[in-house]
Amino acid sequence: MPEKKQTPENTHAPDSEEVRVGVYTCHCGGNISHVVQCERVAKLLGKMPGVAVARTDPSFCSDAGQAIIEQDIKELGINRVVIGACAPSLHEQTFRNAVTRAGLNPYLYHHVGLREQDSWVHDSDKEGATEKAVRLMSAGVAKARLLTPLEPIRLGAEKQALVIGGGVAGLRSALDIARQGIRVTLVEKSPFLGGRMAQLESVFPTDETPRQLLHDLIEQVTAQSNITILTAAEVTAVSGYVGNFNVTVTQHSRGVSDEMAEALLAACTQETPDAFNYGLTQRKVIYQPYKGCYPPTPAVDWEHYDGQPIQVNGKPVVLKDEPQVHQLTAGAIVLATGFDPYEPRLGEYGYGEIPEVVTLPQLIRILAQVPDGESLIWNGHPVRDVALIHCVGSREIDGIHEPQADGQVNNYCSRVCCTASLHTAVELRKRFPTSNLYELYQDIRTYGRGHEDIYRQAQASMVRFLRYHGDEHPEVMAAPAGDKHPVLVRVKDHLTYGEEIEIPVDLVVLAVGMMPRQIDDLVDMLKVSRGTDRFLLEVHPKLRPVEMAVRGIVLAGTAQGPMNIQESLSAASAAAAKVASLLGQGRVELPPFVARVDESKCDGTGACVEACLEEGAIALQTFKENGREVKRAVVTPANCTGCGACVGVCPNRAIDVQAWTLAQYEAMVDAIAMDIPAFSEAEK
Amino acid sequence: MASNEKARQPKILILATLAGGYAGADSTGQVHMEYPPNTYILPVMCPVMFPPEFFVRAFERGIDGIIVMYSGTDSPYRVEADGTAALINRAYTLMKERSIDIRRLRLAAICTVCVKPFLKEVNQMADLLKGIGFVGDEITAPAAA
Amino acid sequence: MENLHADALVVGGGIAGMQAALDLADQGFQVALLEREPSIGGKMITLSKVFPTLDCCSCITTPKMSAVAHHPNIRLLTYCELESIQENNGGYRAKVVQKPRYVDARKCTGCRECEYACPVTVPSPFDRGLGAYRAIRVPFSTAVPQTAVLDMENCILCGKCEKECPAGAVDFTQRPESFEIQATTIVAASGFELTPLDAKKEYGGGKLQNVIDPLMMERFLAPTGPYGRVLRPGDGKEPTSIAYVQCAGSRDETLGITYCSRVCCMYAIKQAMLISGALPMAEITIYYMDIRTFGKGYEQFYQNAQAMGVEFVRGKVASIREDDEQNPVVNVELTEEGRKMERTFDLVVLSLGMVPTLGSNLSLGLPIGTDRFISIPAPNASPCASARPGIFVTGTAMGPMDIVDSIVTASSAAAAASAYIRAHQKEIVYA
Repeated sequence: MPEKKQTPENTHAPDSEEVRVGVYTCHCGGNISHVVQCERVAKLLGKMPGVAVARTDPSFCSDAGQAIIEQDIKELGINRVVIGACAPSLHEQTFRNAVTRAGLNPYLYHHVGLREQDSWVHDSDKEGATEKAVRLMSAGVAKARLLTPLEPIRLGAEKQALVIGGGVAGLRSALDIARQGIRVTLVEKSPFLGGRMAQLESVFPTDETPRQLLHDLIEQVTAQSNITILTAAEVTAVSGYVGNFNVTVTQHSRGVSDEMAEALLAACTQETPDAFNYGLTQRKVIYQPYKGCYPPTPAVDWEHYDGQPIQVNGKPVVLKDEPQVHQLTAGAIVLATGFDPYEPRLGEYGYGEIPEVVTLPQLIRILAQVPDGESLIWNGHPVRDVALIHCVGSREIDGIHEPQADGQVNNYCSRVCCTASLHTAVELRKRFPTSNLYELYQDIRTYGRGHEDIYRQAQASMVRFLRYHGDEHPEVMAAPAGDKHPVLVRVKDHLTYGEEIEIPVDLVVLAVGMMPRQIDDLVDMLKVSRGTDRFLLEVHPKLRPVEMAVRGIVLAGTAQGPMNIQESLSAASAAAAKVASLLGQGRVELPPFVARVDESKCDGTGACVEACLEEGAIALQTFKENGREVKRAVVTPANCTGCGACVGVCPNRAIDVQAWTLAQYEAMVDAIAMDIPAFSEAEK
Repeated sequence: MASNEKARQPKILILATLAGGYAGADSTGQVHMEYPPNTYILPVMCPVMFPPEFFVRAFERGIDGIIVMYSGTDSPYRVEADGTAALINRAYTLMKERSIDIRRLRLAAICTVCVKPFLKEVNQMADLLKGIGFVGDEITAPAAA
Repeated sequence: MENLHADALVVGGGIAGMQAALDLADQGFQVALLEREPSIGGKMITLSKVFPTLDCCSCITTPKMSAVAHHPNIRLLTYCELESIQENNGGYRAKVVQKPRYVDARKCTGCRECEYACPVTVPSPFDRGLGAYRAIRVPFSTAVPQTAVLDMENCILCGKCEKECPAGAVDFTQRPESFEIQATTIVAASGFELTPLDAKKEYGGGKLQNVIDPLMMERFLAPTGPYGRVLRPGDGKEPTSIAYVQCAGSRDETLGITYCSRVCCMYAIKQAMLISGALPMAEITIYYMDIRTFGKGYEQFYQNAQAMGVEFVRGKVASIREDDEQNPVVNVELTEEGRKMERTFDLVVLSLGMVPTLGSNLSLGLPIGTDRFISIPAPNASPCASARPGIFVTGTAMGPMDIVDSIVTASSAAAAASAYIRAHQKEIVYA
């Protein structure tokens, strides 16, 4: 360790120029001067070292008042300004603008609150209030003398954004960002766009066709020349920070060219469970998930393709995945990674054991394959009696529900399942008028606009409602052989005052909740946080509802929590608005109140790095100095929030938050503690 | 202040976060609630920046009581609540070494409209100092030069 | 007032309007923000703490208010009424009236000397009539702008304020002034009103002294409130038993309000938790049909309230009467037990719902839905677009929603509005 350097206090004032402080004590139209003797304050302050001029005015915030300050800067060479007036929250910006107009760096100005924190709270002690004003103003002068000119931190920002996820939220975000003149790269993991929304058949409350809505949206996205779409692609590495993220994207081959598509599709015989239909049907390993998908070219399912040659016109064709690596820079990143439906455990409500137990997303796919006018057949039996059980994988209670493999219980509400379930019930009654439907629920949460109407429609459609309590779940069991119905549902119904009811049904539908997609890799790469519910965590639900704690990373849609399509769209547009604000000007501007290392004092102890609360804000780097290697702390201003956690721990006082330095605080304390005789002397 | 007949008052330094105590003090002013004037409020970004020695130094220079007003744990703003609490504890250790009454340093959670808690903290400290007197009378070790 | 040009006109300075204005302004667009009240802040600034984080509400609202006031791209126009709009030059021309404050806003420093001099006391709508203020006053302590306003209806023209004003700002000769704003796009953030307290006669709201609305309870709970504690308005007694009647203005065909107001479950639970903190001995009962805690972190919030001892009773309140000591007596049908019962409480809060603000909505000439909120023709494609091109809707103007959702839709409306501006203005020059 090199010898510890002496740290002289209060010597940070720039010596290149003489410090000339202008001190301005505002009467505030009597608000301050009725209690604080402003003239006396000015007279005393005028005698303090470094103070070149001390004035009062009935109202410094008026145009005339501001002009006085501007004139002093220009004509008297005032280079530090201290103003005692109302609360800084009201007029600090006004005066910052005034000193800037006069050609002074705006950070060479300090504001002292003499109204809310002095005259308005010490009305009955005018002498005490005046003494307080003198001490506060002299503390202000002490700080001002140590102020240095600062510039906002300006980071060149790539006018380019990365959107991860090609579902409805990602598409909407990409479109809205691109419309603000910012280039977008949209990365989608699967070979096709559209995400979960494409698997739906009707959206509430408008009964529109989801794939048509998606088609319209994709058409708008592809019409934007500044959007690049990478399907079958994954983000595999990220470095950098807001304004300049360096991103590596690995894109799998489509495996099929447009010319070969038809022939290969026809020739392919290998099949695999069709994830688009939640495994209920089989599809080929060369596939299009649905008619009208985008891109229209079929793709190879590399995960399931067995590598065997496919015979096309008598010739064997072996398909090969040759991943391509793209390097790109992005000023901001939108996470639109979406959700997975909750997958019930084996045996949960008979799922996986009784073939007549399916999830609501599965039922939607089943219904999609039943032509209009035909009856619903499942597992070889006509379906007439259907029980829909709500809150499967949602609103779980610790100690009652079995934890999932990772120890979690989903204690949140998934928001969409009530309306989705009722919406499906209404459709079932419409298409199969003789069906009997039972909704087993805890609370009906049809909260959205038009959703309550769906609830009333369901009631009017003779859907029977049974209410169970969260700690008394319905039971599902296979009916004894020979029964008319294959499944029995037993429930304690609180609408009939706790009666135990047994319902024989042909099909049990589990209204499963939402879970975030598996994105552990991304979470690690981006160093973003997740909540206890495992969804991505916003900074604050009201202050910054779509932003993550890591600057430049925003959230869109169900990656953040359960929401319906309308809500996902809103959140996605909100995310786009944040990205546009951030990158629209081609640079990111941050306040200069960040940590700064004095290299001459830094010994590379690393205490600051350990104390730092922000990911990537400070790190030790090795430098060559006079032929030997030395370690120094280096701040990345883009990631620093200026909390100062590093300041207090540095044994060498080598680090400070700009404009809020420790030396400034010590000087202010000294001014406040200054002996009264000093003032009395000065007043003579 | 210049009046000789007026007794010297103990000095209370208040380090208040902009998003918490400082705004709370402004709210107190907006409703014109009185409290003793020997209270000097300095805005801070986050009190976690101060080394514990800072507080001892302030006492040695003649500050008789210090209240750190931060936004507390239920604040919407990011502050290092745990770190601040730990810092105050380290400061207490140093104060004990110098025989400074640790009641002279308080940590309080004050929000932007916490008028009553603000007044309570300030008045409690003022009352305490009336009882225990000036810090200069109890410091044992000489002020570090 | 001179006529103004802006890229966007935001109608309404509540949380949704403020957020939309900030998002547009942050993107470099010029925004005119219109607010009919003398201060921005809307309903949110009157609240105590907000769910599910239980943050001090003012701690979230005041920084946004301040940011709006200081934003170089936002022109803040308070105490202004939107009269009408007409299509003009590829955008809209709005006719606006600046209502007289009888105080020169350029001179007023918000010192409140007028308020201290004024001899007339009137009930304060900010405090839901629970507190009082003067005929001339800064509307409330954290108002933005901090400019006094004189309410001529109650003024006795004694002239004391004029004499005391150190800035010479009081001006009894002010008249309403009309002016126009030309804007490319409009964002409607006109907000909501609470269902009137007396809407459902059976509940006795407005007649029974100890049957109150939830915003009154917010003022009891708010640190800036008139009493700083919870009490009965009837006699100032500290209540020991409090009932919440859910869906008191929602999901009720007899009121013609069939929709769910989305926030009532959560605010009732929140208030119950805050009351439990303030009055640990108080028994709190919530009568409900369905508990709808659907938002992020809300179900946990509900479970916490249950754990704290708040009693949730499934039942439909049929009527409320008063006993000889002005205690409200709740007649409730317990739907899980199939019986009716009566129970006496010290205080009853009607969990009223949201109804649209009609004034500015009518001025905007926008089609409304059967629920009378502004209609959104394609919610699953353009969730913020109204039926008129270039007019976007945010927050509770398009239906009940909570603060979180209002803020998200506000940013979403800002995104839609900015795309519209880009497409409809040939060239935008940024400084």
